[in-house]
Amino acid sequence: MMNMAQARPLADARKSPVQKAPAPRPARSISPQVVDIGVQVAVVVVLAGIWEFGARFGALNPFLLPPLSMVLVRIWEDLIAGTVPVDLGLTLYRALTGFAIGAVIGIPVGILMARSAVVRWFFDPLVSIGFPMPKIAFLPIFILWFDIYDTSKIIMVAFSCFFPIVAATYAGCSSLDKWPIWSARCFGAKERELLWEVYLPMAMPQILTGLQVALPVGMITTIVTEMLMGGRGVGGAMIMAGRFADSVGVFAGIVQIILLGFVVVKSVELIRRRILIWHPESRR
Amino acid sequence: MSMIHTAAATRGRAHTASAISVSDVSHTYGARTAGGMLALDGINLEIGDGEFHCLLGPSGCGKSTLLYLIGGFIPVQAGVISTSAGPVTAPGPDRSIVFQNFALFPWKTVKDNVLYGLKKAGFAAAEREQRAQRYIDMVHLTGFENAYPSQLSGGMQQRAAIARTLAVDPGILLMDEPFGALDAQTRRVMQEELRTIWRDSRKTVVFVTHDVQEAVFLADRISIMSARPGRIQHVIDVDLPKDRGEEILENRAFIGLSEHIWRLVREQAVAATRGAH
Repeated sequence: MMNMAQARPLADARKSPVQKAPAPRPARSISPQVVDIGVQVAVVVVLAGIWEFGARFGALNPFLLPPLSMVLVRIWEDLIAGTVPVDLGLTLYRALTGFAIGAVIGIPVGILMARSAVVRWFFDPLVSIGFPMPKIAFLPIFILWFDIYDTSKIIMVAFSCFFPIVAATYAGCSSLDKWPIWSARCFGAKERELLWEVYLPMAMPQILTGLQVALPVGMITTIVTEMLMGGRGVGGAMIMAGRFADSVGVFAGIVQIILLGFVVVKSVELIRRRILIWHPESRR
Repeated sequence: MSMIHTAAATRGRAHTASAISVSDVSHTYGARTAGGMLALDGINLEIGDGEFHCLLGPSGCGKSTLLYLIGGFIPVQAGVISTSAGPVTAPGPDRSIVFQNFALFPWKTVKDNVLYGLKKAGFAAAEREQRAQRYIDMVHLTGFENAYPSQLSGGMQQRAAIARTLAVDPGILLMDEPFGALDAQTRRVMQEELRTIWRDSRKTVVFVTHDVQEAVFLADRISIMSARPGRIQHVIDVDLPKDRGEEILENRAFIGLSEHIWRLVREQAVAATRGAH
């Protein structure tokens, strides 16, 4: 603490010397974050209550909108029967594998587009055409090429994740601030080292944004391919339930998708905060 | 006014060897297109070993361009720039730079920023730690080793950048208006600290500024540059005591020299404004 005290007189007098990471707040006052989360949970609970009681007291035909409690009971039964873990697991596996392939290809392509004119000439028109196109239109082709099992589904997901990831990485890497690059070169960094040591960390916020856009796209694509192709997985199970006029089964699928999507998206947000701990956005 | 010498631009100091030699350097931005802009025109400059040299001139006179050329950040188009290590072709750890906007790595902590340069310079792990701490202490950032740049004030960020640059012990220190973004008080403190660091380390410093008082306070010699295209109009020796503190601002020699230089710079600034219209 001695040293801290010595440093203080020299610190910039106008501003507080350092904006400390959020300190533990005193227990008596409720932090705004807790209030925020509380309100959001309350909104969900109220909507769930309206659903439950609206369906239960005859406002709606229970076949068209079965009460939430029935849906939850169904999920519980399927959980015990073992179909929920299998379907959810398969859906998650397809979504994450496809997403990972899209990222592993998309990030390097985006970097190369920013670094090399030849790569940019080749990929720029492809990305421009491909980004706004409904990627799911390629599904029949992928089924033709890669059969009807996991491979075609995963490739479909990778294909749809590729575009937002490439676009974000390219944008992030082509607008880099030159000063940190000059600093690194001044300290003797080689061109190859700059990629890992400067370009990637600097472009990381935008790359992560691309990944965060791509992940829900990948989840949507997974469910849709499962619905179109049938078989196991949440999408396939929902289509099967629909064919048997099992509306509770369909809603059970919807609730599972909502929960899965929520967990996945929140996890990625947490990972982002961990990676971007240095960024001012992490201290908001 | 005997302390004022307006020397020919090419004349170095007799008693010191040249650390940086700039001969016939010109630079044109957008040289490959028709509307190229001549930024520097026939610059000749010898900067002695251990000299504190200020490049002073109005905005847009090409003084930063000259510094970036010495740093090797932009390729030399015409003429030769050489140091004791030979002609300058690329950035190198013998010529470290502090930029106006600090240019710290925002994703690294203060300590990791300092360690980066040390690692690149090939220091052993134990010595890296030791040196990093020493230079962080030197710029009075003790206790902020694990802070990220975005958590620090502008003055503290600039001190971190200075620590990072000094830690690798470059023979030549290039500074591009490093205190330009700071408020007046922090600026004064930083100037005094830099002067002390320089006096203790005897590095060659090339310091770009448009602030006359700052140049006179810091420098051994001042090159006054003309409005665009940049040429070196005058090279002035600053014959003031080596130890300079707050009190020197009251010194009559200091005030006289500042006024003299101010008039020389003003001519250029006026020319620059005329040229712009």
